Amino acid sequence: MATEERTKEILKGLHEAVAQFEEEEAAKWSKIALEEGVDPFIATMEGLAEGMMEAGDKYNKKEYFVPELLMCADALYAGLDLLKPAIEASGRKSEVKGSIVLGVVEGDVHDIGKNLVKLMFEVAGWTVYDLGKDVPLDKFVEEQIRTESNVVGISALMTTSMLNMPEVIKRLRAKNPKVRIMIGGAPVNPEVAEKYGADGYAKDAGTAVDEAIKLLKMLKEEELSKK
Amino acid sequence: MATSQNSRERVLKLFRREPLDYIPLFSGYGNITVHGLEKYGWKFPEIHTDARKMADMAASTFRLFGFESAVVPFDMGVEAEALGSKVNYYTHATDILYPTISQHPAEKVEDLNLQVPSDLARAGRIPLVTEALRILKQEVGDQIAIGSWVLGPYTLAGQLLDLSQLAKAAFKKKDLVGKLLDQLAGVLIQLIKIYREAGADYITVREMGAGPDILSPRMFESLIRPPLRRVFDGIESPKVLHICGDTNAIIDQMALCGADALSVEKKNNVTETRKKLGPEALIFGELDAYGVLSQGKPGDVDQAVKEAVERGVNAIWPGCDIWPMVPKENMETLMAAARKYGKLN
Repeated sequence: MATEERTKEILKGLHEAVAQFEEEEAAKWSKIALEEGVDPFIATMEGLAEGMMEAGDKYNKKEYFVPELLMCADALYAGLDLLKPAIEASGRKSEVKGSIVLGVVEGDVHDIGKNLVKLMFEVAGWTVYDLGKDVPLDKFVEEQIRTESNVVGISALMTTSMLNMPEVIKRLRAKNPKVRIMIGGAPVNPEVAEKYGADGYAKDAGTAVDEAIKLLKMLKEEELSKK
Repeated sequence: MATSQNSRERVLKLFRREPLDYIPLFSGYGNITVHGLEKYGWKFPEIHTDARKMADMAASTFRLFGFESAVVPFDMGVEAEALGSKVNYYTHATDILYPTISQHPAEKVEDLNLQVPSDLARAGRIPLVTEALRILKQEVGDQIAIGSWVLGPYTLAGQLLDLSQLAKAAFKKKDLVGKLLDQLAGVLIQLIKIYREAGADYITVREMGAGPDILSPRMFESLIRPPLRRVFDGIESPKVLHICGDTNAIIDQMALCGADALSVEKKNNVTETRKKLGPEALIFGELDAYGVLSQGKPGDVDQAVKEAVERGVNAIWPGCDIWPMVPKENMETLMAAARKYGKLN
């Protein structure tokens, strides 16, 4: 087992590797974490994921842009590929997790934002059913029913494709009133989310998971209060 | 609208910097509406693949509301299709779905073997767009200005490659991306000449994929500006550069690209832009094409035109394609507000 000090050093190595988009470094520190007995779940959440949060902050401060974020995501995946099997083997689970159907609405072929959101859900241990981009409206409904997912996340990059969101939301609700729907993407803001009847809105990939967890908790409380 | 100058003269005089009676109300890209579709009984998917329908739709906003330009094409797939990408027209759709790219000739820049057709004028839908331009020139060309547009080199590259791969390569394989953008600049110069010969009075280059929401101003300077400059140096006036997003951080660099006018959207603070570029610069835009024009009430449209004029735009010009579902009353208010607030001495 690594000492507390060594663990800190390894977590910092993972964090920095992601935040500085160093793929090889991320893989290197992940191997070290496994070799020296750092809990792979801690290594993922407090190392890799923290690095991605820093990248997100830098994006919001206009220090990083889309290419940098994508390279940070690649570094995170390089680490996650090594750590994930160890987490699964350990049987460790995150406290609140669920499953989510994700996709970009039909008419929009831009999936950079959706892929970053997907990454954060994977990090948090959620099961992600990724429909990809340019997804026909009914496909969201079918996949939600098929997978019995608690949450559906719908993304659009362009204003023109955002306008299909209310229809997807309407159809999802008609089939399953309990499903929680969150939307995001460049043209979406909290007002749009409210107007379209979504339950949640995520400004960026970093806040998407928190928002989803909030929705899940609300859902559980509602179920409890009914019993 | 009985005014002393007709719409076409007004737009052309603006570019020549001659005195005007009113600030022109026109656009460099899509301004079609569902009211035009209704007028002809057509569905949205069919107007992208038929020259007659494309031309009639382009002129319909003028015919119905008095909008001062007709612009083709309507979708972002024309150039990429001619260079090997596949386009999805959503022919099944009853909604408004703009065509998108469904298949790229390559995913990564190092795998792209760019095939430029020897006769570009006959490649893909380019003959269709030029035919639409000819029809427009003949039928409304004496009344309104005819516009056409192309994507900028980087945005076009994003229609030929996987966008994530391109963005990363812009960082990691800058020389390779730079070389591709330069090649694409050459293609765009050729294409713009074809459009001009067919009847386009002015051209807008839309580099919407390279704004400061996506690439850093530093990268804009080193990677995006040089090929844009090459395009503008290689084509004749009038020529407009449009970039979406909060462009204040790169507006001075946009001004160095060689366009006659710069087009910006709502996120650009035009008061700041005017301060930076001085009284002589031609600044078009800012009118919020979706939030105000499509979703707002007539009063919001009136107010937005008033504010745009106060901030000193040289053209009342939507900052993006007009969303086709725009209410009739809003279009009518737009026209009236342009006359109400746009009178010049």
